[in-house]
Amino acid sequence: MSKSRGITISKSEVPLYAIILLAGIFAFGLFVVGYDQGHIFSIVLGEDAYAEQFIHELTHDMRHAAGFPCH
Amino acid sequence: MLFSGFSAGIIHGLTNLTLVEPYLDEAIGIENQNLFASGEAQDSPSFWVEYNSYRNWQKGGQILAGGILGMSFGSLFGIIFAFSRKALPEGHDAKKALVLAAIMWFTIFLIPFLKYPANPPTVGDPDTVVLRGILFLSFIAISGFGALGFYRLSKKLQKRKKILSIIGYAAFMSIVFALMPTNPDEITAPIELVNGFRVMSLAAVLVYWVSNAIILGVLWQRFKPDKPIHTKTH
Repeated sequence: MSKSRGITISKSEVPLYAIILLAGIFAFGLFVVGYDQGHIFSIVLGEDAYAEQFIHELTHDMRHAAGFPCH
Repeated sequence: MLFSGFSAGIIHGLTNLTLVEPYLDEAIGIENQNLFASGEAQDSPSFWVEYNSYRNWQKGGQILAGGILGMSFGSLFGIIFAFSRKALPEGHDAKKALVLAAIMWFTIFLIPFLKYPANPPTVGDPDTVVLRGILFLSFIAISGFGALGFYRLSKKLQKRKKILSIIGYAAFMSIVFALMPTNPDEITAPIELVNGFRVMSLAAVLVYWVSNAIILGVLWQRFKPDKPIHTKTH
């Protein structure tokens, strides 16, 4: 006759991969909205991206409203 | 965490459209007048066509930017909430999240804002933008890590002495506040415009933190991601 028993697995520890992923999203999002002056698109477009400032223009109003230096 | 942050960020963007946008339009209007006065641009129909086109792009972009920034701070908030949940006041997770949001809003937004307040367009020299960006981010990091350090210190203190950690944080930030360089740019825009913009900016960011806390707290309470799993073995 087999006995059944319960095992409780605690998930209270925060997984390391989740912390790294969330920290990466935090840093990337902060850079995109607060600091990019053409850097990200320069990977594809080269120097033109610094003149075009696609992301800067897209995030311009939020950048000001959230307190980041813009101009 | 990502959903709550993104949703709250969208709410932030929409709030900005209502509260902050009139001040941005007024400030950019002053910039335009300066351009016409200096001869850098002409007050012509083609100017206004181009102007309206990119202003619509910026206003619409604010919603997406709100989502991205919201998800970014939502991630940071989520990490800290997961670690500190048991130390927060008993009760509904939304209540816990609101308490943490109040602490984070105060330490990584309000305190840095008092030193380096938000400015509308027309304020700010492009040549100093990198310096101002570094100063702003440094102040956020110092205040955030300072709060974390003094919180850890408070855990080692007896109940009555815990107040010392709050006094310590206040003293530490006062010293940092006095030592850090001020914003090098002169404010040339009307002060009523700048002050109105700052008040609305503060209010809109507060809306973000409250929204994020409520959404995350309600979702956490509903799905309990840290709930222990019970399995049967034979």
